[in-house]
Amino acid sequence: MRFLLSFAWQDLRSSGRQLWVFCVCLMLGVTLVTASGALYRLMSDSLLNDTRALMGGDIEVEANSPLPDDTLNWMLSTGQVSLTRELNTMMGTQNDDFLLVALLSTDMYYPLYGELILSETGSLQSLTGFLDGHWGLLIDPVLAKRLYINVGDLVSIGKLEMQVRALVLQQPDRRLSANWRGAPALISDAGLEASGLVQPASLIDYEYNVRTQVDTQTWKSRFYEAFPDSEWEVRSFADRSQRIAERLEQIASGLLIVAFSTLFIGGLGVFNSIHTYLQSKLKTLAILKALGLRQTQLVQLYCLQIGLLAGLSGFAGLLIGGMLTAAGAQFIAQEIQLSSALQPFLLAALVAWFFGILTSFTFALPALGRALSVNAAVLFRGDSNTPSNLTLRWQLLTLLLATLLAGLILVVVPDFRFGFGFISVTIFCLVFFETIVRALKKLAAVIENTPWLQARVTTRLAIANLHRPGAPLRTALLSLGTSLTLLVACTLVVTALLRLINTTVPEESPALILYDVFPEQAAEVNKIINSFASTDRLTLSPLVRARVTRINGQKLSELEFPESDWQEMVRDEHKLSYLSGNIDSVKMVEGDWWPLEESQAEANSSKDSQLEARQPKEKDQVYIAMEDREARQMNLKPGDQLRFSAAGQNIDGILTGIYSQKGIQTRFWFEAILSDGALDPLINSYVGTAYMSDDDALKAQQALARLAPNIISVRTANIVDSARELLAKASSGLAVIASISLITSLLVLASVMAAGRRQQIYDASILHSLGTRMSVIKGAIRQEYSLLAVITALFAMALGTTIALLLLEYRLKLESSDLIWLGLVTAITASTLVFSIGAKYLFSHLKVSPSILLRDNEA
Amino acid sequence: MINLDNVSMNYQLEDEQVSVLSNISLSISKGESIAIVGPSGSGKTTILLLLSALETPSSGSIHIRNQKLADLSQDELADLRRDTMGIVFQSFHLIPSLDALSNVALPLEIAGRKDARRIATEMIKRVGLEHRSKHYPLQLSGGEQQRVAIARALAHSPSLVLADEPTGNLDAKTGHRISDLLFELHEDMNATLVLVTHDEQLAKRCQRIVRMSDGRLLEGAADALSA
Repeated sequence: MRFLLSFAWQDLRSSGRQLWVFCVCLMLGVTLVTASGALYRLMSDSLLNDTRALMGGDIEVEANSPLPDDTLNWMLSTGQVSLTRELNTMMGTQNDDFLLVALLSTDMYYPLYGELILSETGSLQSLTGFLDGHWGLLIDPVLAKRLYINVGDLVSIGKLEMQVRALVLQQPDRRLSANWRGAPALISDAGLEASGLVQPASLIDYEYNVRTQVDTQTWKSRFYEAFPDSEWEVRSFADRSQRIAERLEQIASGLLIVAFSTLFIGGLGVFNSIHTYLQSKLKTLAILKALGLRQTQLVQLYCLQIGLLAGLSGFAGLLIGGMLTAAGAQFIAQEIQLSSALQPFLLAALVAWFFGILTSFTFALPALGRALSVNAAVLFRGDSNTPSNLTLRWQLLTLLLATLLAGLILVVVPDFRFGFGFISVTIFCLVFFETIVRALKKLAAVIENTPWLQARVTTRLAIANLHRPGAPLRTALLSLGTSLTLLVACTLVVTALLRLINTTVPEESPALILYDVFPEQAAEVNKIINSFASTDRLTLSPLVRARVTRINGQKLSELEFPESDWQEMVRDEHKLSYLSGNIDSVKMVEGDWWPLEESQAEANSSKDSQLEARQPKEKDQVYIAMEDREARQMNLKPGDQLRFSAAGQNIDGILTGIYSQKGIQTRFWFEAILSDGALDPLINSYVGTAYMSDDDALKAQQALARLAPNIISVRTANIVDSARELLAKASSGLAVIASISLITSLLVLASVMAAGRRQQIYDASILHSLGTRMSVIKGAIRQEYSLLAVITALFAMALGTTIALLLLEYRLKLESSDLIWLGLVTAITASTLVFSIGAKYLFSHLKVSPSILLRDNEA
Repeated sequence: MINLDNVSMNYQLEDEQVSVLSNISLSISKGESIAIVGPSGSGKTTILLLLSALETPSSGSIHIRNQKLADLSQDELADLRRDTMGIVFQSFHLIPSLDALSNVALPLEIAGRKDARRIATEMIKRVGLEHRSKHYPLQLSGGEQQRVAIARALAHSPSLVLADEPTGNLDAKTGHRISDLLFELHEDMNATLVLVTHDEQLAKRCQRIVRMSDGRLLEGAADALSA
């Protein structure tokens, strides 16, 4: 063993440039996996923290009375629980100003995630406590500004006079709250009890936030199983902030695609370097065999070398990956609060290192098996490059390790199905390119002998180089083609996602959102809003809350749903409205709106029909359009019959289309839009949007508060910024990871092209020594590489774009066919870069005197 | 020591069966030196491959030190090469990543000899390259590389030395010096020497010459000791 160790080390030390290329490939592979893996984890952890903070917990159970003890105990057994009681009440100032506020009483666990930032020092408990004869109150700065209240002022709530002790600068779970009510005011539990507002008939929301390690979907299912007859609404972040959650999910998918591609390209670098290294060792293997070294000793020797190389180069890759992670994390940290960079990095680094070593051995085995089967007789015959077949034993061993590697990938990646899909697509790409390689080789062999090429030496050499034994066509198409395909797919997916995120929060958002406008107040609201010079438009739409009770005549309990169970569906209260004014910026994605009355259709033909009332052609028929996520959850399709129930009344109608809400500017998120007239008997209030300047919005808010305190008005500037900020964080992270992955992938691919060119250098040297001018040889190589670059780029573009478009269409639900040009640009740029670097490396080696190469008598 | 009994060797080349050796029978005594001569393609190198157990005959049997090669496993054949044989190639085939001394020590180290470096140093002195012992193959001339290869082949005192055109890649003067060295060491160690060569002068230094043509031993071709 000592001899094997010493020989392995000596052999490695003196292996020179080949070893350098090998190590670089391996190092880059591990670097790529480490950096993208660690950044992925950092990003997803950070985004998870953000979404948890925005939600106030992992799960929220909302009830209008305290939960029974058994339910609460069940919830406590799954994690930490924090209760927030919320009720709307009027707050009066000493100037006799009154305004509706959302009074929140919090317990000692609040907030479960995120941080509550107050204008004054002191804990939430101490500031809301009883001091100098008053309970403390913490209010929103907007409220303070509206009512001219300062810290220390007294306000009246219920039967109490309370002291404003601080302004709430940041309340994590209010920023993206879907249910806007009055401006929040925080009070202690005891303060709320003392206020006298908690009476048997009081309308109080009990919001129980749960912090748990259990997956939210699993938690919900278990909850429904444990309490099947309850009517409490159970929501996770995905339910509460659907559009944002959907975007974050899409970004996570984008990150996954990048990470998977990275894994493959990194693995490819490792494989290629191992293969090249062992090819260069065929002669040494044969000599050792001739000198009597046993097969098992040879296996030990080269496994030792591969282990040493993989371990050391992987470690170097790990360090560089660490540096890249730190740099990337620092960049992302400008946008995202990164809690701890060390843990995700260590985990990703260890996985990457292990992956590097396992990949080395997996890909080394076929190369090693082939190398070991080299017959030492070649030493007498003078050809140590004769390819040999892989024995069944080596094939089985390789298959075993490959399965282990695939298993590792599936275990490590966060989405098993996605991982499986990726592996299948990669195998398909490899088979596809193998077929193309064979076809092209045959074609090149035929073309080479055409009379036209006989007089064109350079082109003939280039064509011959495509199909001769050991030609780089296979490496180029199989390895680079598959990698470039993945790069193209990644670029398209990432670009489509970034574009989507940029349009999710549009530049133009309403400045003011109105809730709870009573029908008789509509005219007055219209007058106030339109009195401001900056007002562009005001739109009011009815808001009716109802539940779906039947689909195609069947009760929900009799149906099966693809994404959740009927319990959830039954509890889900939907927001219904009319299309008039398209207040929520919806867009039809499947089916269509209902047919219009003929006179109206004509009138609308010259206008934007979405902005007009859509009186149905058949007045007695109720038409319904559903929001895409809801429709998907309920497995609905146009043509289905639906029944909504609200306030004891049923509305039956036919589903004509499914729409999507592209933006988040209003956040009304109507879950169903009905034909005009269908909701009329149920309308108690309207919601509205006003497009005006932010300054005028503040004034309008004050005017509305004085006229009608029941109207809840929310200025959107801060909230839209909040959403924009969150999505910007996610997209920055995605962009950083994708960029690092792209650059490192290009380096890996360039190293793949650079490695394994010994045969080509040798052939070129022979040609040169036979009198072929170096310019002719270089010209042939240029033509050959250009051909390869074009072929690789074309196939990578076609396949990569197809994969990306399928992914975008079916997984990410994004229409992106206009991005095909980007696939072409990416494929051509990457291919040109990689082949140029490969050719440059080759040319630099052609400067070596042929005599040195030929003297060795070996390729 | 060595017996080839009716050995034939055929290759399958696409649809055609190519005969390389036909019914060769040959006995070589312990300590004997024998030259195999003949034109290119006559099967000389194939005989060396069979003797070194790197190829298996299509028919017939080969015995070395009373062991039938066909009865031995791959590992036993590797051990046989390690313990019994020293091979000198026409193209030297030194390991490029090892210096001259390490190349010579290699078979001894493979055999697990603890005194490998000491013996290798002695051997390298005997071939007159002690001043080049730390040089790598690419830093040595062709003649020096072949001297290292001979030192490697004989370092572990093999009982059988197989040499394939040992002077084929060298100029006449260097070739002479190499053949002197080879025969000198062979005599000192009393090893059996099987030499494949085109060179009649070199062949004549052997105790016996075997002539081959078209894969067959020529009738009455075994010359008497002429040196």
